[in-house]
Amino acid sequence: MITLTNLSKIFRTELIETHALRDVTLQVNEGEFAALTGPSGSGKSTLLNILGTLESFDSGDYLLDGKSIKGLSDAALSQLRNEKIGFIFQSFNLIKDFSIYDNIELPLRYRGLKAAERKQRIEQALELVGLHARRDYLPAQLSGGQQQRVAIARAIAGRPRILLADEPTGNLDSLMARQVMELLEQINQQGCTILMVTHDPDQARRAGRNIQIIDGQLHDSTMYEPLATQSA
Amino acid sequence: MEQFIYYLKVSLLSIKRAPLPYALTVFILSVGLGVFFANATFYYQLNSDPLPGKSDKLFFPMTLTPYDCNDCRPPRILSYSNVQKLAASDIPSAQAAMYSSDGYARLTIDQPPTPVVIRITQRDFFQMFDVPLLHGSVWPDDNGHHQVILSRPMALKLFGRTAVVGESLLLDDRNFRIIGVLDEWQMLPRLYDANGRNHLTANEDIFLPLETGYDLNYLSKTNSQTFDDTDYRQLATEGRVGALHQLQYWVQLDTAAQQEDYQQYMQSLAEDEKAAGRHPAPINNQLVPMLGIVDYFGDDPGDIKAFALVTLLFLVVCLFNASHLALNRYLSNQYEFSLRRALGASRSQLQLQMLADVLLMTVFSLLGALFIGYAGVSLMNALLPQNSLFSTWDLTLITALILAAFTCSYLVTLYPSLRASFGSLNQQLKE
Repeated sequence: MITLTNLSKIFRTELIETHALRDVTLQVNEGEFAALTGPSGSGKSTLLNILGTLESFDSGDYLLDGKSIKGLSDAALSQLRNEKIGFIFQSFNLIKDFSIYDNIELPLRYRGLKAAERKQRIEQALELVGLHARRDYLPAQLSGGQQQRVAIARAIAGRPRILLADEPTGNLDSLMARQVMELLEQINQQGCTILMVTHDPDQARRAGRNIQIIDGQLHDSTMYEPLATQSA
Repeated sequence: MEQFIYYLKVSLLSIKRAPLPYALTVFILSVGLGVFFANATFYYQLNSDPLPGKSDKLFFPMTLTPYDCNDCRPPRILSYSNVQKLAASDIPSAQAAMYSSDGYARLTIDQPPTPVVIRITQRDFFQMFDVPLLHGSVWPDDNGHHQVILSRPMALKLFGRTAVVGESLLLDDRNFRIIGVLDEWQMLPRLYDANGRNHLTANEDIFLPLETGYDLNYLSKTNSQTFDDTDYRQLATEGRVGALHQLQYWVQLDTAAQQEDYQQYMQSLAEDEKAAGRHPAPINNQLVPMLGIVDYFGDDPGDIKAFALVTLLFLVVCLFNASHLALNRYLSNQYEFSLRRALGASRSQLQLQMLADVLLMTVFSLLGALFIGYAGVSLMNALLPQNSLFSTWDLTLITALILAAFTCSYLVTLYPSLRASFGSLNQQLKE
C-alpha cells in the first residue's frame, strides 16, 4: 500500500543542512498497524508528515497504492489527504469555537458530501468513539481523552484507508491513553492501516510492527505477533 | 450555495474570535473609502452628462474678439449687439442668450423681501436644456414681457403652493405676472452656465426675459466687461449698442451639416466684422460642445482635483494599514488554515473561504463608508460652498461605490490570506 524507495529529506537553513531522513526504503501493507519509534529528533514525525503529504521530500519516491505522489498538484494532494488519509495529532488540533459535530464535519465538507451523508458518517464516528451524547459540546467542555476521541472520530469519519497518528496519547494520562489505544486497535481491526509515532515501548508492542528510526535512517523494522493473538 | 453559507458562518465565527482587531480593520477601511466616496461623488456629478442624447447637439460659439491680441481665444461672454449678429442665423434649431443676476422678491410691499437668483434668458432656453414646466408656459416670443417663470421651490416658498400661474409678485418692487412654474429640475452639472465654477450649484429661482432684463438694467452677477466707455448703469440703452460683454450664448445644432454650416457662418461673420474694423484680433472661432465646456475653460475646480489626489493617497494608506491588521489577524489564525489544508481543503477552497471574508468585510466597510462618505459630502458642502449642491447617490454611483468597497476589501484580504494559506502545514500544526 505504501512504498518508500530511498526517500530523503533535508532541512536547510542559511548556515546548516540537516538530513532528517536518509535513503529510507519501506513497505507498509494494507491493514498493518505499525509504530514509528526512535529518539527525539530522529525523523519519525518527519516521515509521518511525508506519508501524510504535509511535507515534501527531496529525493527518492513515495508510492501510494502503486502511484507516485511526486509532482502531484496542490488540488490532487488535498484530495488524496481528504479521501485516503486520516490524521490524529498529539495536541488534538480541534477548532475551539466549533462544536464537536462541526469539528468532525470539517474534512467531509471539503469532500463535497451531501448534508445527509455527512450526518450519517458523523453519527457513526461519534457512536464508535462513544461521544454521541456530546455532539453539541465545545472541545473545551471535554476532557483530554475525550478530545482525542473527537480527533479520532474526525479522522475516521471520512473512512480513510490510512490513519496517521503523531503521538496520539502523548498528552493523556495512562487510563485515557489505554482507551485511545483500544480505539485505534478497533479501527485497525476494521481494516484501516495505521502508522503511529510513539515513544512508549508498550504501545509500540501493541502495534503489529515497530519501525525504528535513528538519525533519519531506518534502523529496525520488527514484526510482532499481534497482542490479541498473544493473549489468546 | 450551502457550502458558501458555511464559509460565511466560519467567517463570522472568526470575527467573533477577535472582534476588536476586525472592527479596527473595518473602521480604517471605512474611513479611507468614506473620504474617497465623498470626493468621488463630486467628481461624478461634475463629469456626468446632464443631458444624455442631447448634450452633443448643444454648442457654445465664440467668434468676435473686440480687442487686439495674438493666439487668444474670443471672449466667453458676448455683447448684446454681437448676440444679435449671431442670432441672425437660421442654421441652429434653437438658440438662447443668457446671464444671471440677483434680486429680491416678495408678494406685497409690506412683506420682507426674499433674495433670489434670476436667470435672464430667451424662450429657447427651456427647450434646449429640457427644462420641465409644471404649470403654465414660457414667453410667447423673445420680446420684453413683465412675466416671470418660477422654480418649484421658489413658488412653494413665496406662495406655499405651485399652481400660481396668473398670480403676481414683486421683483425688486416691480410688478410681474407669473406665467409658468417649473417642475422639479436640477441640471447637474449645470453646464449651461459657462461663467466660472458654478456647475454644482443650484438652479436659479426666477426666469426673466432677456429684453426685460436689459430694459430694467439687470447687470450680470458673475462676469461683465466692457471694451469701450459703455456705462454699466445704462444697460437698457448703451448696453444694447456698446461693447459691454455679459451674455453667454448657446446654439443647438442637431446634425454634422448644421455644425459645418454654422462654422462657416461664424467665419463669414468674423471676416465681415474684421473688414469693418470691429475685430482687430486674428480670427479664432470656437464652437465648443457642451460636455467640453469645463475642460475648455479650465474650470475643473483645482481644489476638488487636489482633494481627489489627497483622498486617493489617503485610501492607499488606509488600505496598507487595514491590510497590515488583516495580516496579523490571518497569521494568528494560520493554525486553522493549516489544519483545514491537512484535512483536505485545497488552496482554491481556502480562497473561497477568503471570498466569504471579503464579502462580509465589503458589507461592513460599505456601510461605514456610506455613513462617513455622507458626512464627508456634508463637510465639503460647508467648506466649498461654490460646490454646495449634492443631489443623490444614484444607482450608477452606488454600484461604483459597492465595486470600490469590494475591490478594496479584496485587496486588504488577498495578501494576508495568501500568506496564511501558503504557510508550512507541519510547522503550524505543531505550534
